[in-house]
Amino acid sequence: MEIVFQTMATGLLVGALYGLVALGFALLMGVMKFLNTAHGTFIILGGYLSFWLLELWGIDPFLSLPLVVLAMFLIGIVFYKLALSPLLKLPNIGMRINSSMLITFGLIWVLDNTMTVLWTPDVRSIMTPYTGQTLKLFGVRFSLTGLGGVGVAVLVALALYFIFSRTYFGKHIRAATQDAVAASLCGINVQRTYLFSCGIAIALAGVAGMVIVSSYSISSTAGIGWLSSAFVVMVLAGEGNINAIIPAGVLLGLIESAGLLVVGVPYRQAVALMVFIVVLMIKPQGLFAKKEYGS
Amino acid sequence: MNWKKLSIIGVLVIGFVVPPLIWDIGTSALNLLIMLFIYIILAQSWNLMGGYTGQINLGLAAFFGCGTLVTHFIWKAGVAFYLALPAGGVAAMGLAVIIGLPTLRLKGMYFGIGTFALAEVCRIVVGNTFHRMLQMPSSYVASYNLISRYYVAFVVAIVAVVVVYFVTRSKLGLGMVAVRDDETAAQVTGVNTFKCKVLALFISALLAGLAGGVFAYLRLSFHFIHMMFSPVWTFEPLMAAIIGGAGTLVGPIIGSVFLVVLSEIFALKLGEAHLIIFGFLFVLVVMYFPYGLVGSADRIRQRITRVGSRISKDRRRRYFLF
Repeated sequence: MEIVFQTMATGLLVGALYGLVALGFALLMGVMKFLNTAHGTFIILGGYLSFWLLELWGIDPFLSLPLVVLAMFLIGIVFYKLALSPLLKLPNIGMRINSSMLITFGLIWVLDNTMTVLWTPDVRSIMTPYTGQTLKLFGVRFSLTGLGGVGVAVLVALALYFIFSRTYFGKHIRAATQDAVAASLCGINVQRTYLFSCGIAIALAGVAGMVIVSSYSISSTAGIGWLSSAFVVMVLAGEGNINAIIPAGVLLGLIESAGLLVVGVPYRQAVALMVFIVVLMIKPQGLFAKKEYGS
Repeated sequence: MNWKKLSIIGVLVIGFVVPPLIWDIGTSALNLLIMLFIYIILAQSWNLMGGYTGQINLGLAAFFGCGTLVTHFIWKAGVAFYLALPAGGVAAMGLAVIIGLPTLRLKGMYFGIGTFALAEVCRIVVGNTFHRMLQMPSSYVASYNLISRYYVAFVVAIVAVVVVYFVTRSKLGLGMVAVRDDETAAQVTGVNTFKCKVLALFISALLAGLAGGVFAYLRLSFHFIHMMFSPVWTFEPLMAAIIGGAGTLVGPIIGSVFLVVLSEIFALKLGEAHLIIFGFLFVLVVMYFPYGLVGSADRIRQRITRVGSRISKDRRRRYFLF
């Protein structure tokens, strides 16, 4: 019985990380309708930045977070300016999604191989004094770095929720999504809104990369694996439903843990993907979709 | 299809058939050409689904890997290769039934995600089932020669191009293009859209399975068989089809030549950095030649000669990928 609780607890920690991984992806895809397949690669890039800051200057990963976020925000702005903003001219949203998918495919190649050249294909992770230490809560052990990751994920998700529902900037993003022309007629600078939210999305990828490198490991070609979890979480949560991303991620983590207990370690990911396909078939608008988005 | 085109095709075919018979063109050149043919088959297979029917299939690697696996085992069991190769293709079609029937109900981007997820499931399951190296017995290795691989790959590539040519010029092909341009309108006009999509997926899977069979003929041993299911085998043919011009017959061929030959040249000259340049090239093509090299060349020619604005409008619809 203890092993069940322990596995579920680990699933909880991994699930929060899945949610964090999917946040930036869902912001770009669900809200702005850019399908960023390079999201996993940006996550790895953020992980490498964090790794570098520790190796070169000895800054703890959780303390270097603001630096990583700032750097990734700037990268996101450059990314938007060069790759995504030309797509706004396309006539419909379907073409925007498909073209952004193809462009970011190319970007995966560029970034993956640049990272391989810069940091070698070795698997990297960060060793801090508290790596591997655990905290015993309710009879199960939680790793400290994992708990740190959960804390960061919850904080980031709350911040995003407040930005979206309580600030004018969030309102601008939602308005620009619903109707870009009408929004700009109302005096919203659509280009600037998109620019900043793309920066935020890539910065979120950087946050996820920091959490991954601190409690797991990264290698230059691991981005695709994280991308598929981001996809799964976004579909579970429902497109555009950014508030449900963290719960959906936790759900995915728990499903994976349950699969691990039932069918064994090697098929863990396969079970999660099968559940994902079933959800896609039965309820393509997502498990957490609100009624008004349902139609 | 007029005499000019036919004679060009004839010259090309003779150009590929005769030289290896007369003189030794070297192992590396032969290998490069075989890989080029495999990419042409895969790119045509993706083109049928993505370019003509408008369904972005991100699970091509599953069909390719299935073909490789099945051909490998059937051939190893002692069956002649010319029977093992179609068996691999048919097995890939069987996989298409399992993958296609649930995912084809999904629309747009979700079809891509669904096929991608199912291909990943296949990769994980195969990787866990066969964790040892797969190898042919030594008698097969002793009788290995590259020339026969070259001709098999060439013939299958020709078959793939011919199949795509005839499918796209049939009633089914018209239905596929109608599905791509406007699925609802096609349905209203009386096109059985689901049937069109399913048949396109079946033919596409058959071609990808044949490509896998050719690959199993080329490589006699596999360290990790699940590498045949890796997403690379989806994305590189996709890139070839898009660079050349999806929804055209010549586009994927030109794209494959571009991808295989250029990446070989870059790899020799630049080493590791060549994939970076390749990624950049791909991004530039997608951004500035949205109709691929073939489609854009046509449009430029039309702009220069300024004939037939109505034809150009027609063409624009044809090259509209999505």
